Amino acid sequence: MNERAVEVENLTKVFSIGLGKKYVVAVDNLSFHVEAGEVYGLIGPNGSGKSTTMKVVLGLMAASKGSAKVFGLDSGNIRARNEIGFLPENPYFYKHLSGTETLRFYGKLCGLSGRGLKNRIEELLDLVGLTEAASRRLAGYSKGMLQRIGLAQSLIQNPRLIILDEPTAGVDPVGSRQIRDLILKLRDEGYTIFLCSHLLEQVQEVCDRVGIIFQGRMRREGTLAELVAIEDQTSLTLQGASPELLAEIAALVKKHPEAALLDMGHPHTTLEKLFISLAGRHEAETSPEAKTPLAHE
Amino acid sequence: MSEPTPTHSPRSAAAAVAPFSLVRIWTIATGTVTQLVRMKSFYFLLAFAVVIVAIGNINIPSTPAKELAMLKKVSFGTMDLFAWLFAIVSTALLIPRDQEDRTLYTILAKPVRRIEYLLGKLGGVLIVIATSLALMFALCAALLYARETIYVAEEFTAMQADGRYSPEDIDSQIGLIRAQGLQPGLLVAVLASFLKATVVAAVTIFFSTFASSSLFTIIVSVLVFLIGHAHSLATNFWLAESKHNAFVEIVVKVVKILIPNFQLFSFSEGIVLGEKIVPALVWQMGGLTGGYVVVFLLLSLLVFVDKEF
Repeated sequence: MNERAVEVENLTKVFSIGLGKKYVVAVDNLSFHVEAGEVYGLIGPNGSGKSTTMKVVLGLMAASKGSAKVFGLDSGNIRARNEIGFLPENPYFYKHLSGTETLRFYGKLCGLSGRGLKNRIEELLDLVGLTEAASRRLAGYSKGMLQRIGLAQSLIQNPRLIILDEPTAGVDPVGSRQIRDLILKLRDEGYTIFLCSHLLEQVQEVCDRVGIIFQGRMRREGTLAELVAIEDQTSLTLQGASPELLAEIAALVKKHPEAALLDMGHPHTTLEKLFISLAGRHEAETSPEAKTPLAHE
Repeated sequence: MSEPTPTHSPRSAAAAVAPFSLVRIWTIATGTVTQLVRMKSFYFLLAFAVVIVAIGNINIPSTPAKELAMLKKVSFGTMDLFAWLFAIVSTALLIPRDQEDRTLYTILAKPVRRIEYLLGKLGGVLIVIATSLALMFALCAALLYARETIYVAEEFTAMQADGRYSPEDIDSQIGLIRAQGLQPGLLVAVLASFLKATVVAAVTIFFSTFASSSLFTIIVSVLVFLIGHAHSLATNFWLAESKHNAFVEIVVKVVKILIPNFQLFSFSEGIVLGEKIVPALVWQMGGLTGGYVVVFLLLSLLVFVDKEF
C-alpha cells in the first residue's frame, strides 16, 4: 500500500467575523487524501475553501474540527513542514534579494549550508531556467520569473510534497507552459504534488486525481478518467467495421466475429465542461429563485 | 472508487529537523539586517552627522568646558532619539510587511517556529541599532576628541602666555576641559540608549503581532514610550491629588505593570554630564531590559502562535 502524503479527515474550518460573532464555515467536513508520488488537483471557484484547506495542511491555520496529516505527521508539526515545499499564489519574496540570495535564505531556514546549499541553489536555478538572472534582484523579475524562483524556493530542501497554489496565476501563456512543463518534470522525478487551481485545462494536463470543492465540501473526486466519463452513454471503438455493421451494431456486434471490439466505455467530456456543469447545477440549487417561488408575469 | 496507483516512484523522507535552532534565528536576523540596510535605513546616520557637525560649528560665547558639555548633550540626545525612533519604525514595518507581502507564508511554511521568527526579527533590528549607535558614537567621539584637543591646546597656550597662572592652575583648568571631553564612561551612555531601544523594539514587536497596520503600531508604540517616560511623575501626582484613592491606586498599578518605565533608562543623561557611573546600576538596567524583553516576547508569542494567516 502506498504511503499517504496528505490525509485530510473530516476537516471543518469556521471563521468568526467581526464583533457580532457571525460565523462562516469555510471548510465543511472535508475528507480526501493524496498518495505519495501522485499529482492531486483541488479545484473549485473562489471562496470554495481551497486556500483554507491548503493553509491547514501547511500548518498556517488550525482546524476547527478534524485533522490534516502530512506523511503521517500532524500538519502543525515542524517535521511535517520539512516535508513540504510551498508556492503561494502571487508569491512576493523579499524584493531586495537576488535569486541566489532568496534560495540561500530559504535553504538556511531548512538547515542547509556550505557546499551542499551552493550546489542545490545552482541545480535549482538551472531547473527553473534562471541561472542567467541569478544575481538580479527580484524587484526586476517578471511575474513568470517570480513564479519560477518561487518554485525553486519550494524545492530547496528537497521535500517529498510540493503544494502549489494557483501556480500560473497572472502568468502569460509562455510562462504558464514553462511552469506546467516544470510540474510534469517534478512529477517524473517522483515528487508528490498537491495543486490548487481554477485553470482546468492545466489541471487536466498534469493531475492524476482531482477533487472538486464547492462551499467547503467535496462534490466529486476521482481519477481524471473517472471524472470525465459520461455515465449514461456508451461508446464503442471498432476496427474494420463496415458501414452496414455500424448500422446494426448494437444487435450484431456479438454475432460478427470478424469485428473486434477494441474498447467499450464512456465517451469523455473535458474537465472544464464537467466543472461548469457542476457549478451551474450548484448555483441553480442554491440561488434564491430556486428556493423562493416567484410570481411570474 | 478505485485507488489510483501512482506511476512515479515516491521520494525518500526529508532529513531530520531540529526542534529549535539558533541557525534559523540567525538566518532571519541577518535577513532582516539586509532588508533594513537595503531599505536605505542608514540614511538617518547622515542626518545625525549633519546635526552634530552643525552643533560643533556653532560659536557661542562660553567656556570650552561648557561648549564640550553642550556638544555631548545634544549629540547623545540625538543619538538616543534616533535609536528609539528607529527601533519603533523599523520593527513596526517589518512584520506587517511580511504579512501583507505573504513572505511570512513562505517562511512559516518552512520548518521555522514562530518564536524563532520573532526572535530573528528582533535580533535583526537590534543588530542594526547596535551598528548605528556604534557608528554615531564613533562620529561623535571623533568630533569631541578633535574639539577637546583644540580647546586644551588653546587654553594651555593662552594661560602660559598670560604668565599669571601656576602649573597647578593650568592643570586644573585643563582637567576641567578634559572632564567634559571624550571619557570611557560615555560608552555606558551609548549602552543605556541601546538598552532603551531594545525594550522599545520588544514592545513594538508585541503591538505588531496583532495590529492591523504599521501606522497603528507606530502610533501606539510612541504613545507607550511617552507614557513610559512620564508615568513615574504622573502616577505620583495622581496618587497625591486623589489622596491615595483605591481606584486610582489600582489604575496606577496596572499602568506600571503594562508600560515599561523608560525614565529608568535615562541615566545616560547624568553620565553625559560627567556624573560617576555605579557599575551595579548598569547590571541592574541590563537585568531589567532582559526582563522586559522576555515578558514582551512571551506576550507576542501568545498572540502570534495561534495567529492564522
